[in-house]
Amino acid sequence: MPLTLIYHFRPSESLEASFVPASYRVVYFFSDQGFLEQSLLQEMSKSVPDADHDLLSFLSLDDLRAFGSRVCQEVGSGEVRLISIQDYNIGVDGARDLKGFQAVFTKFGETVVNEEASKKKGFLGKLFS
Amino acid sequence: MSYLEDSRENGDPVRPGEQWFFYWKTSAALWESRILQFPKTEIIFIPLYWGFHAESAAEWDFGRIQSERDLVRLVQLLTQHGRRFCWVLPLSPAPFFPNGGVPAFAARTLSIAREGVLMASLDRDQNLNKMLSFYEPKVYGAFTGFLRAFEAFLTEHQVQSPVWGAEFFYLEDGHKISFLEDWSVAFDHGFSRYVRQKFPTGTGLADESDLKTVFRSEVSSLFLQSAESVLTTYWMGKMPVTVLGSSPRDCIQRSMPSGKSQLSYTRELVHLYMHDQWISSSLLTNTEKKDLLPFILADQFSSSDAEEKFQFQLPRTDLTEEYRPFGVVEIFSKDESLRKMGLLKFLDDNYRSLYQFSDSFAFTNEWVQGSQHKIKLFQGGALDRLGFAQILKLFMLGQRILLDVQDLPLELDKRLQVFLIENNIKNQTLNFVTAISVFELGDGRLITFDGKKLIGKPEQKNFWHQIFKYFNLTQPEVTMDDDLFSFWKIRSTSGHELNYLDVRRVNFYNPTSYKKHVTINTKNHFAFLRAADSLRASAKSVSQRVEVELLPNGKISLDFGHYEEAPCR
Repeated sequence: MPLTLIYHFRPSESLEASFVPASYRVVYFFSDQGFLEQSLLQEMSKSVPDADHDLLSFLSLDDLRAFGSRVCQEVGSGEVRLISIQDYNIGVDGARDLKGFQAVFTKFGETVVNEEASKKKGFLGKLFS
Repeated sequence: MSYLEDSRENGDPVRPGEQWFFYWKTSAALWESRILQFPKTEIIFIPLYWGFHAESAAEWDFGRIQSERDLVRLVQLLTQHGRRFCWVLPLSPAPFFPNGGVPAFAARTLSIAREGVLMASLDRDQNLNKMLSFYEPKVYGAFTGFLRAFEAFLTEHQVQSPVWGAEFFYLEDGHKISFLEDWSVAFDHGFSRYVRQKFPTGTGLADESDLKTVFRSEVSSLFLQSAESVLTTYWMGKMPVTVLGSSPRDCIQRSMPSGKSQLSYTRELVHLYMHDQWISSSLLTNTEKKDLLPFILADQFSSSDAEEKFQFQLPRTDLTEEYRPFGVVEIFSKDESLRKMGLLKFLDDNYRSLYQFSDSFAFTNEWVQGSQHKIKLFQGGALDRLGFAQILKLFMLGQRILLDVQDLPLELDKRLQVFLIENNIKNQTLNFVTAISVFELGDGRLITFDGKKLIGKPEQKNFWHQIFKYFNLTQPEVTMDDDLFSFWKIRSTSGHELNYLDVRRVNFYNPTSYKKHVTINTKNHFAFLRAADSLRASAKSVSQRVEVELLPNGKISLDFGHYEEAPCR
């Protein structure tokens, strides 16, 4: 059961009195069974220091990868595909129908493999083995 | 453009109130057989895919060039077969049109949702329709060009059919969002131009997001006013239509093998019903419209509801032997403070699905009579002089009004005092969490309170309990899980039911995959008459209560005779 995470990158901003660092905010996180529960995601984000747990926003792409990997471990998934909004939009722009739309989730983005999954089965892995 | 793609069977009979004829999806040679599939008595709605009629930027075709654009023939077929119909003109991108309806020559910038994703919707033929921004200046130019050409077409061919404007919406996280809401560069450019023009010396301290809301609303009005002014004699008004399954999130969910659950759709339908919203299920496939969904659509968004909504028939005032929707509270506010002051929780616990939200009220005799039985709640901050005068009139006409006076303008507060003195109306005041004033005039009741003082108070539940106890509503008491849903209806009694004042029907639906139970306590005012239309459900009557068992995807209707009306207080 591969996972898909779509994120929004916002570059850093220097406002009048403050500096807002760049952020990678989770927009959608789902498997082919549906969207993952927000409460689960917020809980998992606590494994990443300096993340904004309410907004599911991370300071770097590495942090986002670590978060994705942690969620994979929790739900027993072998991998998560991280797709930026820009890539998602390019894919949607080129898609004409359901098949083309579904292909966006396999063609674009980068895959983070959950190394643990091959060694240990999560609760879904146990269920479907 | 390809034809013969409309996969709908027999005009999509699961949805009686939604006879939408997508003429551009069907070869013109098949129009007649398609039209004949629609039930004869029902109105046929024809969405105007305006972009489809663009031959070029300067030429609009209504059949001279392509037979699939031949609206004269379409009108002739509808007239020949005695069908009532109306045009639906989109005033926003519409998710069931390619490009959202925008003609190819004006299609430049794709519309972007708040989250930053492109706005796209899967239609029932599994096409991915991408929405084009209405903030692109070329789109407005094209739209007005179409309006003029369409008006000329209607006049030339003496077509006497009404035109309804429709702004389309999607639901996300319980919020209704217009397809006009757009975060694309076209919006940003339009907004910059608007700010430069409107505030040449700068916006001062004005909040950018507030200004964007004003700009959006002005653009929306621009499309509406253009349509109104060009189509004057044909124009009926604007109807907001929420399209099920059309949000960006829905697009992803509906593309998954598991799809969007029936429970989610049901929850949305109940939400839309309670917010008095008209819906379109035209994007959903037959596989998605399964289990209970067709029943809920047919029961709660019926043809007669559509006829009333689109003004083909007058609002129903007196009770007839035909069931009509029933509620006990009408709320004229969407303020989040209603939740914070505990009202929505109280209503969900005690009068679930018996309250509705309304954006506004048409102060007509039909509306006043038809809603006489409902308690009406208003919030002072949202009222103007006219609205306030109408509320006082409702009170004088014997209606029951709850008025939250927080943020009530001083001018209206003074007006209230003058009204009370002029009419020599005495008030009873009491302090319980907040100052409550109760005014009585004949059958009319007016209760004022300061809702701000209820926010966060543990006594709020008791407060609402006392207020509603005063109104002495008689209604069966229902105990059921949150993921079960019910709708109430009412009708007059028939010849053999003269012991009763009216008959109330409750429809229960269980869209979950679990067996569920409901208990209805009839108290002393209701007699259980019968169970009807049951599907995977059963009911049994046990002294002063009815116990219902609903299997997964089960539904049942129960009728109760109302035999005693207790006077107010």
